[in-house]
Amino acid sequence: MARHLIDPAYRPFVFFVAVILGLVLVDIGEGNILTSATAFSSLQYFSTFGLVALGLGLTMLIGEFDLSVGGLFGLGGCVAVLTGNENAWVGIACALATGLGFGLIQGLIITGFRLGSVAVTLGGLLTANGLAYVLTLNKTITFDDIDLALALNEPIATVFSIRSIVALAFFAIAIVIFSTMRVGRDLIATGSDRRAAMVSGVGVDKILIASFALSASISALGGALLSYGLASASPAGLADVLVPAIAAAILGGVSLAGGVGTPFGLAVGVLTLSVLRSGLNALGVPPFVNSIASGTILFAVAIIDAPYLARQLRSLGSRLRGA
Amino acid sequence: MRKEAFAAPVADEAATRTGRVSSRLTIARGGLLVVVGAFALLTPGFLSVPSLTTLLTTASFVGCLAMAMTFITISGNIMSFALGGTAAVAAVVFVHVLNAFGYAPAVIAALVAGALVTAAQGALVGALRANPIIVSIAANVLIYGVAEWLTNNETAHISEEALGLLIKGKLFGLPVEFCAFVLVTIIGQLVLTFTVFGRNLFYIGSGFRAAEAVGLPTVRTTIGAYCWAGLFSAVAGILLASRFNQANMEFALRYDYDAIAAVLVGGTAIQGGSGSMMRTFVGVAAISIIQVVLLLHGLREEWRLLIMGLVVLAVVILYSSRQRG
Repeated sequence: MARHLIDPAYRPFVFFVAVILGLVLVDIGEGNILTSATAFSSLQYFSTFGLVALGLGLTMLIGEFDLSVGGLFGLGGCVAVLTGNENAWVGIACALATGLGFGLIQGLIITGFRLGSVAVTLGGLLTANGLAYVLTLNKTITFDDIDLALALNEPIATVFSIRSIVALAFFAIAIVIFSTMRVGRDLIATGSDRRAAMVSGVGVDKILIASFALSASISALGGALLSYGLASASPAGLADVLVPAIAAAILGGVSLAGGVGTPFGLAVGVLTLSVLRSGLNALGVPPFVNSIASGTILFAVAIIDAPYLARQLRSLGSRLRGA
Repeated sequence: MRKEAFAAPVADEAATRTGRVSSRLTIARGGLLVVVGAFALLTPGFLSVPSLTTLLTTASFVGCLAMAMTFITISGNIMSFALGGTAAVAAVVFVHVLNAFGYAPAVIAALVAGALVTAAQGALVGALRANPIIVSIAANVLIYGVAEWLTNNETAHISEEALGLLIKGKLFGLPVEFCAFVLVTIIGQLVLTFTVFGRNLFYIGSGFRAAEAVGLPTVRTTIGAYCWAGLFSAVAGILLASRFNQANMEFALRYDYDAIAAVLVGGTAIQGGSGSMMRTFVGVAAISIIQVVLLLHGLREEWRLLIMGLVVLAVVILYSSRQRG
């Protein structure tokens, strides 16, 4: 059991089951958790930061780290609302194009100058954030098509909505591509041993650029969908998706060292955090409980993943025996 | 994360150690300051006393956090997302203890609180080699969660009688915040240059395994780096609370990004093992001057954020190609 908890391949499921069991145990006799309303709100959270987590997880898979996803999420929302009031599809297209442009430039800088992705995407994050402020003049901008906003969040088959179906569809596509096509293995190879991947004919630079382009594009799309759903966008309000996205990715068994993880695990990781959040809401606890729970889980994963954990435990054990 | 996520290939790192390249780097940094400075001097109103006072004061808050960040970056742990939160905790502790017990206990309590918050993270990072970015994000989420639990996110005000205890105004004609910032810079640089801890920090930052193999105290040194980061963050918190006569958890919310930007613009390498407080000081100065100049040219706050992002991107690219040249 303990080893399965540590093995990243099993981790998403262990945490998912643990979170649901924990919530149900706290809820015994109340009947707040196992309801279709909780399932619906879980999937709404899933759609809010799922796409960002997918993009970030993809860059983590190849051993890089895209800090800019949070910035592009906000920028995508602002661009979509600014350009989409006439025709919502135009807004979506503009948001996607913005993300694609940003991601391509970041990928080209990283591969062209052989730079670390953390430093480059930190610059990208600040730039995207600043651009969102400039475009909106630091104001909350509203989306006029209220009907569309309502339609996006309208329950479909009790638990789904258009927003969550879009997010789930992206994950489904990613899972299929990853498990059936060569690019899945190329991603893992790039993340595990870049030199070996290059030698065996993987187009490492292409993979890198494509990953950053995809990561930025779907983050911008996620922001656009959320802003449409909220019928408003502001540069400051959308910035805090980075933390849940990182948390979901590492809960989903994506290793920060690269080369380990799958889109399916990632989806379960996102779902775990979403269930935790909507479950705690359903229990009626104050919002800080959610922060404390998320922080504790993140700490737990950081410690479980720590490379020197086993060594320190061994030396502690021998010290205790010696004493 | 793999090393390549932060670092240029090893050969480049070796190249930076040769005198020729490092002197070119110095010229690049000097050039940056000269250009920015000249631009500033040509801006009407820049040299007026109120604008300079504002510049020095606001630069000091982020400046202290940037000094804190420098310890973490040099130690090879990239950056922390929890220093702004640490500063806010220290500010709230400072206000409460000041109201109850007076100035000196308040300063000590704030410094201890800051150091404890970060030392715990340093222990995880140093002893277990836990990922520093995840640890700092987890810590930040916990800090804000626990703070909301304990304080209901209410602003703590400094009481009427305690207001008289605060150190405010000017010292040698300079804002007291700036004097504190300079003091922090000097202390930080002395620690880096003249102590065994400082020397070990550079070794650990440039190669943790090698440092471990030769028997350096890696755990103690990493915790030390985080302790210093906590102390300097707490100084930022004390300065903020003293300046605004109050404290809340929103205080230093976006400062982590400004601080790491200053560290990078100053030329401290994000992969660790090199850097200095003086470089970060240059970075803080350059960023603050750019901010004030933009404001004086009538550009709104929004443009500042955009240009900051572009400056960071440009600097990251520029320094790397210099290093390889």
